[in-house]
Amino acid sequence: MLSVLQKTGRAGFSVLQHVLGRVFPVAGNPLNHLGALTIFFCWIVLVSGIWLFMFFRTSVSGAFESVEYLTHEQWYLGGIMRSLHRYASDALIITLLLHILKEFSFDNYRAKRWFSWVSGIPLVWIIFPLGITGYWLVWDELAQYVALTSAELLDRIPIFTGSMAANFLTDTGLSDRFFTLMAFLHLVGLPIFLVFGIWLHLFRLSRPSINPPRRLMAGCLLAMLVAAAIFPAHSQGKADLAFMPETIQFDWFYLHAFPLVERFSPGLTWLLLVIITALLVVAPWLPPMRRALPAKVDLDNCNGCQRCADDCPYSAIEMRPRSDGKSYAREAVVDPDLCVSCGICVGACPTASPFRTRSELIPGIDLPALSAAELRESIVNTRLADDSANPRILVFSCKGNPVAGRLRQAGEAVVEVVCMGQIPPSYFDFALSRGIADGIALTACTDGDCRFRFGTDWTEQRIARTRDPHLRKRVDGSHIEMLWQSNRIARQNPATLIERFRRSIVSGSKPGDVT
Amino acid sequence: MRYVGQALCFAVFMLVVVWFSIRPEHRLRGADEAIVSVSISHAGKRLAECRTLSQDELNELPPNMRIPDDCPRERHAVRLEVFADDILLYRDALPPSGLWSDGKSIAYQRIRTAAGSYAIRVNMSDSGNDESFDYSETRSLTLHPGQNLVIDFDERSNGFTFN
Repeated sequence: MLSVLQKTGRAGFSVLQHVLGRVFPVAGNPLNHLGALTIFFCWIVLVSGIWLFMFFRTSVSGAFESVEYLTHEQWYLGGIMRSLHRYASDALIITLLLHILKEFSFDNYRAKRWFSWVSGIPLVWIIFPLGITGYWLVWDELAQYVALTSAELLDRIPIFTGSMAANFLTDTGLSDRFFTLMAFLHLVGLPIFLVFGIWLHLFRLSRPSINPPRRLMAGCLLAMLVAAAIFPAHSQGKADLAFMPETIQFDWFYLHAFPLVERFSPGLTWLLLVIITALLVVAPWLPPMRRALPAKVDLDNCNGCQRCADDCPYSAIEMRPRSDGKSYAREAVVDPDLCVSCGICVGACPTASPFRTRSELIPGIDLPALSAAELRESIVNTRLADDSANPRILVFSCKGNPVAGRLRQAGEAVVEVVCMGQIPPSYFDFALSRGIADGIALTACTDGDCRFRFGTDWTEQRIARTRDPHLRKRVDGSHIEMLWQSNRIARQNPATLIERFRRSIVSGSKPGDVT
Repeated sequence: MRYVGQALCFAVFMLVVVWFSIRPEHRLRGADEAIVSVSISHAGKRLAECRTLSQDELNELPPNMRIPDDCPRERHAVRLEVFADDILLYRDALPPSGLWSDGKSIAYQRIRTAAGSYAIRVNMSDSGNDESFDYSETRSLTLHPGQNLVIDFDERSNGFTFN
């Protein structure tokens, strides 16, 4: 059941990724920045909200009028800000849900990654009340409905005595103090928890991506400004507790649970919400994931260079004072509770060289699931047809990459690794210089969106010789093709791309130039 | 061409955002419906009357607890029913709130009903009497479409209010 859901999700994201990949560069594909986009929309909400608050009056009579003033009298700024506030709030629900769905579909929420998943759930519980209290403040017909229905929901919690909903039945039950309370919750109380929650959510990640690429931010902001100008957000009729409108314009992003309160009951709605939340909380352990062994440090080969600690996407490696009396200042120590066994640290280790012949290939840090020696072995054992007219291509692929299967079917030699970042660049040099292959093709598990966050980024930088350990200068870069770098992989048969790469080696041109 | 595609993607995204931020509209009631809101907070009478302690009983108590009346905390449930003409809109027996069943009984219900003229009758019992009602009132009212009639109980006048 779970695997069917995940498979369906992956298929859906694959289609979306391919569609967006046709127009967005890989680095700027919105699907690769869902979490960062959510934070960016929060920024828009914050900035526009500050402007709205400057003019907002926290009173029964003043709330609606002050929002109307902003919308109509100050439409050129206040109205735009209000629309931005509304649309950014709604947009972040879309990116948030996609973010959750994506992490679920790609199985990025279990084992050592449970913390990021579980710490994200309170964020959902903060964001929804934040949006809902925002609707209360406008004090129009929608606010009246939201206030009454929210109060009915809250009344179902047994800690409240009396009926909160009764306050929203007649005008006499409502005071200005209510708006002060709502404004405090919306402007101060919940946002504080939100900021703390985001910090906690990103706590275990090194180099968390909190900003999407600038072009993507600019595009989103521009799109919102255009939407704000064409479809300005507006209030509905002023709240009148003695009257219930027949229909209201409804924000389904935030208020989707409210019709359940009317259709069924507040109790059943709570039950449903609690069940969904409980399922989300226990999801990382349903069923328990078999834990891969964490990376292992070999002090005899570790020179304390810190590259593994710098490259680890999960801050699982710490540099500590040397414990074995060697002359190096520090040594790498792996925290098994944080290590996700991606092997990116091995790719960063300068001692993981396949050229080593004097001693056994044991690098300073290694991955038990696929050691550096085993990786060298699988490269050496690859049998590529020796045909001088057809350059031999060795494909490296992340595990679980469907492209790998298609290439194998097409007769290509594929070496699978846990993560692309696990391969030290010296291995590419090794395969080419030892005549095992004439070209190296790299294909990642997803199109430019590494499952282990930085595997493809670090690989690109190592090959470009901008990140340690560098690819040696003697290696001709045109003999290495990174298929995730191009959107072509999204819409073409990978075997065709390999064939083009092969022809490009023959002609001596860059693969991208071949048409 | 690529920028045109990006613009199209942003446009589709924003259209989804704008559309679902206001549509589809949510129907709160039928065109010819009014709302009757029953919102009553009333404490039932105590299960037993207060009993005055004898001097001997008081002497047995610590000095700081010598209160002459022994009043059991538990209260009766409040029985409440609302009719529009002879149509039953609401009927419930509301237990007292609180861990010791000594708080007020709370009635809250929103009922959609056809607009029109009705004789609204409210009956309430707070003494545990199952045979009859301690409070009863009938009011002839015309409910207009969308009107929210709130039925409450005023403790000071011991009577129902129809707002």
